[in-house]
Amino acid sequence: MKKLQFKTNIQCGNCLSKVSPKLNEQSGIQSWQVDLQDPDRTLTVETDALNPEDIQKAVLKAGFIATLK
Amino acid sequence: MNSAQTTLSKDRFPVTGMTCTACASSVETILMHTEGIQEASVNYATSTVSVTWDARITPQGIDQALQEVGYGLVISTKEVGESVREAQEKNYQKLKWQTLGAAIATLPIFVLGMFFMHWEPGRWISLVLCIPVLFYFGRHFFTRAIQLAKHGQANMDTLVALSTSIAFLFSTYSTLFPEFWISKGLHPPVYFEAASVILVFVSLGKMLEERAKTNTGTALKKLIGLQPKTLIRLIAMGQESIRLEEVALMDRILVKPGEKIPVDGQVLLGQSYLNESMLSGEYLPVAKGPGDAVFAGTLNQNGSLEIRAEKIGSSTLLGQIIQRVQEAQGSKAPVQRLVDKVSGIFVPVVVLISIATFGLWMVFGGENALSHSILSAVSVLVIACPCALGLATPTALIVGMGKGAENQILIRDAESLELGHQVTALVLDKTGTLTLGKPKVNSQWFNVQEGDLDQAAIEALLLALERNSAHPLAEAVVAHLEAKNLPLVPAEAFENIPGAGIRGRIEGTSYFLGTKKWIQSQGVQLPTSPLAIEKEASEKAQTLIWFCNETRVLAVLGIEDELKQNAKEVVESLGKMNVAVYLLTGDQYAPAKAVADQVGITQFQAECLPADKSNFIKALQQQGKVVAMVGDGVNDAEALAQADVSIAMGMGSDIALDVAKITLVNSDLAKIPQALRLSKLTVHGIRQNLFWAFVYNLIGIPVAAGLLYPTFGILIDPMFASAAMALSSLSVVGNSLRLKTQQLD
Repeated sequence: MKKLQFKTNIQCGNCLSKVSPKLNEQSGIQSWQVDLQDPDRTLTVETDALNPEDIQKAVLKAGFIATLK
Repeated sequence: MNSAQTTLSKDRFPVTGMTCTACASSVETILMHTEGIQEASVNYATSTVSVTWDARITPQGIDQALQEVGYGLVISTKEVGESVREAQEKNYQKLKWQTLGAAIATLPIFVLGMFFMHWEPGRWISLVLCIPVLFYFGRHFFTRAIQLAKHGQANMDTLVALSTSIAFLFSTYSTLFPEFWISKGLHPPVYFEAASVILVFVSLGKMLEERAKTNTGTALKKLIGLQPKTLIRLIAMGQESIRLEEVALMDRILVKPGEKIPVDGQVLLGQSYLNESMLSGEYLPVAKGPGDAVFAGTLNQNGSLEIRAEKIGSSTLLGQIIQRVQEAQGSKAPVQRLVDKVSGIFVPVVVLISIATFGLWMVFGGENALSHSILSAVSVLVIACPCALGLATPTALIVGMGKGAENQILIRDAESLELGHQVTALVLDKTGTLTLGKPKVNSQWFNVQEGDLDQAAIEALLLALERNSAHPLAEAVVAHLEAKNLPLVPAEAFENIPGAGIRGRIEGTSYFLGTKKWIQSQGVQLPTSPLAIEKEASEKAQTLIWFCNETRVLAVLGIEDELKQNAKEVVESLGKMNVAVYLLTGDQYAPAKAVADQVGITQFQAECLPADKSNFIKALQQQGKVVAMVGDGVNDAEALAQADVSIAMGMGSDIALDVAKITLVNSDLAKIPQALRLSKLTVHGIRQNLFWAFVYNLIGIPVAAGLLYPTFGILIDPMFASAAMALSSLSVVGNSLRLKTQQLD
């Protein structure tokens, strides 16, 4: 199991609700969460199969930017 | 490149679903990654996006791309105001459907409950019909009550939800297991009728209130519209037309006559008059020359100006006004409605009575203590909610608003009507509110000498000169003289000296018209002692225009913005209502003081910028005052948005009308105390209505608690609930209609 962490521009609950379906429909993610309290709005993903690029692409589908920490 | 890609379209659309700036950049990112879109830029402040796209995609396609993520594009040629109206209409239709649905399902329950009480299957039919009434048509009461309960609060929705749901659960139990009560020697009570009728009435009340609302204003969009969309930038090679978004600091910009100033800046070249009423509320244009500051949104009247951009976008004065109006409108704490206040106290009290009832029956109930305890405790909760509860406020408000409209007072939202009677401070704008907002010749002095020009001849000369000027003071003179049927004389060599006056030749003689100082500098002999008209002018803060030929003064005219006739009486009558009256104006000190003195206002402030006015109101509010603002101009918008009760003059600017919740259609000041009195009457009406709504049910509560049982053997009967309902509703509607007959004066 890998743990990937990204810095994102997901600012509020509304942003999060846009991203959620894109991450949920991405197969290969065991679990994910965004810490909105954190200044970096860190997205933490637990996955075996996926590359950081796959996650970035999924987030980008909702129009948000994630950069690997 | 093929031809499909070369035809570009460009437009700006409102975007839905954005709540923060990250959403805005998200929308931008999505659009930039969508095939066929060349360029996309989101303006978060206005919730719009401007998109450039080619033939590979349509606006519907762009919308679809955003919909996939949860945003949306509003594609319509309609004004934004219309979309708002549409949303309101939709909400109203939804309420109408809920009310109608609930009413239709309730009708059979009502008939069964009233006329076939003892018909066994009737209970089952009522049970089935009651489910959709409560939990489909009335579900919003429950969701709101639950939301409030999470914060430990209660309002009208709580009372409705509590009472109807307990009535429903209790009646369902009685219907399913009547033996439980019969075996205890009690008659199994059912309250399906009470529960569903309450819900119908309260829904009806909400619907009526929604219908009474007229569209919320679109002031912000109109404020934004004050800025020109394009402008001319001066560059080394000449000039180019650019969009407002593209302008940069230190750009040199050309503003032609009749155009609006696009940014805040400084005049580099040129002379002109600017209408700055947007900032000051004053109609008199201000002369501007090199070195003077100019502000975005003000109107350039007669000369070309070259200006340097020093503040752009949201940092301009106009940008700040927009921002503050937005903040003031968004940050306003919702006014707690009277009915919610009453319910907020009533709900815990009823729950306590119910618990006490339960406890007392348990202790003193004898052999059937438990069943009596439950029956009485539940009955208390069920009977507590009057069905006229929902009607008490809206019927009074609707009658109040109707009465306002009859009296030229348009009230746009009910809150103002509920707040108006609490007003302790009232802020008045000067120009256009206390005064007519139009300059008028109010005093004159003619220097007629034997054997020379008579008054009519002087007037004819004056008219000939003033006709050539576009200055508002000149318009006042022309309006004054035109009525007199004077002979036409031709003027030539007409010249306008900004900030000073005008000069022209008539039949070989030069004439001068302007300020005293300028006339003096032309070497004209002035009267040695001050004229009576000068003394009067300084008292009333009139503007004097001097008219002379090459050697002597021919006439002096005093021009003033006349006070409205009843201004003084109105200020007096407001004082009698214990309202402190303030005057705030963008005008100079002298005219402000003159007006304040004439109408009897002791507290005034001159030279107020829009922000000064709203800060003044904020300070009053911090002292615990409920503040009403009366204004007419764009410069009053911020203060109107800040005030608790906002009143606009019907002849004022669109933006003031949009921000204000109350409009005095005929701009008559006497309507201000009337509006406050109307509010008082309406609130009295609401209070009386609440009394009538609750009183019958209050009488029912002791009976429900079983107070009469020990002596008379009477327990609550569903008939009590029905009778209380009918009586309270009739009383409430009757009392509201009584408002119609009351006097506002």
